[in-house]
Amino acid sequence: MEPRRRDLWQAWWRSFTVQGSWNYRTLVAPGVTYALLPLLRRIHSEEPERLQESVLRHLDSFNTHPYLSSLAVGALARLEFEGASDDEITRFRVALRGPLGTLGDRTVWAEWRPFCLLVSITLFGLGLNPLWCALVFLGVYNAGHLWIRVWGFRCGWQQGREVGRLLRAFPFQRFADRLWPVTMYLLGAATVLLGRAVVATADGGTSSRWLLFIAGLMVVPAFRWPNQFGRLAVGLLLTIPILWILLALTG
Amino acid sequence: MPLTDINLPLATWAFLAALGGLLAVDGVSVPQIMISRPLISATLGGAIMGNAAGGMLVGALLELLSMRHPPYGAAKYPDTGPAGLIAGAAYAEVGGGSLEGLVAALLVGWVLGWIGAYAGYGRRRINGRLTLASEFLAADPRRLERRHRLAIGMDVIRGILLTGGLLVPATLLVALIVLIPTTPTGTAIGATAVVTLLAASIGSAARTTAPDVRAWAMVLLGAVMVLTAIWARAW
Repeated sequence: MEPRRRDLWQAWWRSFTVQGSWNYRTLVAPGVTYALLPLLRRIHSEEPERLQESVLRHLDSFNTHPYLSSLAVGALARLEFEGASDDEITRFRVALRGPLGTLGDRTVWAEWRPFCLLVSITLFGLGLNPLWCALVFLGVYNAGHLWIRVWGFRCGWQQGREVGRLLRAFPFQRFADRLWPVTMYLLGAATVLLGRAVVATADGGTSSRWLLFIAGLMVVPAFRWPNQFGRLAVGLLLTIPILWILLALTG
Repeated sequence: MPLTDINLPLATWAFLAALGGLLAVDGVSVPQIMISRPLISATLGGAIMGNAAGGMLVGALLELLSMRHPPYGAAKYPDTGPAGLIAGAAYAEVGGGSLEGLVAALLVGWVLGWIGAYAGYGRRRINGRLTLASEFLAADPRRLERRHRLAIGMDVIRGILLTGGLLVPATLLVALIVLIPTTPTGTAIGATAVVTLLAASIGSAARTTAPDVRAWAMVLLGAVMVLTAIWARAW
C-alpha cells in the first residue's frame, strides 16, 4: 500500500532522532528503523510477516551522517515500496552507508558548522549583542541543516535506488567546498578579536604586543601538529591555577 | 567575590539543570540544531546568570578549543552542551570579568565536557543492550519504538544529572580560583597561556577545516585586516 502524506511527514520528523539509540554494534540502525517504521507499517500493512522481515533487515548495522539519514530513510522506504528483494535492499544499504557518512562529515562538520560558528564569533568580537550573535548562528546554520534534511528525504523517496547519482552531485557540497577561504578569513579575524577580549580581562596586567608575538609563534606549529599543540593548550589550562597558587605562596 | 556572596537560588539551579538535559540531548540524540555547541550553551548560562557577553566569551574560546574534535563516526569528542552551560553560568556568577575567572571557567568547561563525553559512552553501551535483540524487536516493532524513546529519555536524564550535580561544585571551583591572589607575573603567565590556547586552537581548527597550507594566506589576511582596523581606530 502506498504511504500517505502523513506517514511521510512522520518518517521525516523521526529522522531527526536517528542517533537517539546510537550504539557501538549496529550504529544508527535502530534509529533509522524507528524513522522508517511509519512507512514500513503502511507499505506492509497487509502482510505482517513482511513487516517483521523488513524491520529485522533494517536493524542490521548501518551508518549515516544524521542530517543525511532522511535521504537513507526515503530511499530505503522507496525500495521497500517497490518490492525490492531482500538481497537488493541489503546491497543497497551497504553501498549507501559509506558515502552518506563521509559526505555529511566533510560537508557539515568540517565546512558548514565552522563557517557559521566563526560568523557568529566574529560578530560577537565586533560588538554585536551576544544573544543576536547566538540567533544568527542558529538561524544560518539551521537553514542549511533543514535544507539538507528536506532535500535528502524528497530525493530519497522520489529517486529510490538512483540516489547514488544524486549524491555525486550533492549541491550543498559544491556550495560548502567553496566556503573554506571565507572560513579561514573569519578564523584570522576571530582570533584577533578574541585575543583582544582576553587581554582586556587581564586588566592591563600584560602587554598585548608580547602576547600577539607568542600567538603568532604558536599558531603555525599548531597547524602542523594539531594534536600535540591541542594537548599542550589543554595542559596549560590545567596547570595555570596550580602555578598561581605556587606564585601566591612564594610571594 | 567571597564565597558567601554566591547567589544561586534553587529555582535557577533547577532551571539550569533542566536546560542541561535539553542541551545534552541536542548534542547527539535529537534534534542536533546545535544549541549544544559551547558558543550557545555558555551564552545561555551567562545570560541566565546576568552576563551574556561573559558567557559568550567563555563559549567562543571553548568552541575553538573543541573544533579539533569533530564528531566523525565513533570518534571521541567533548559533550559541550551541559559543560558550556555550567562554564558560562559560573563565569557570569563568580568570574567577575577577570582573567582568573576566564581561565577557571575554561578549565571547568573542558573537564566537564569530557566527563559528559564519558557518561555518553556509557549510555551508548546501554543502547547496545537495549537494541541488540533484533528478532525480539522485529517480532513487535512497538518494542523498538519504546526502547528508542527510552534511550533518548536516558540522554535527557544524563544531561540533567550532569548539570544539576556539577553546577554547584564547578561554580565553587571557579570562585576559589578567582580568590587566589595573583601577582602581575601570574597574570601575565595566565594571559600568555590563554593566548597560547587560542593560537593552538586556531591552528588545529584550520587544519580540520582547510584543505592545505593555502589556508594561511586567508587566516593572515583576516587577522591583519582586523588588526589594521583596531589600530586605525585607536589613532
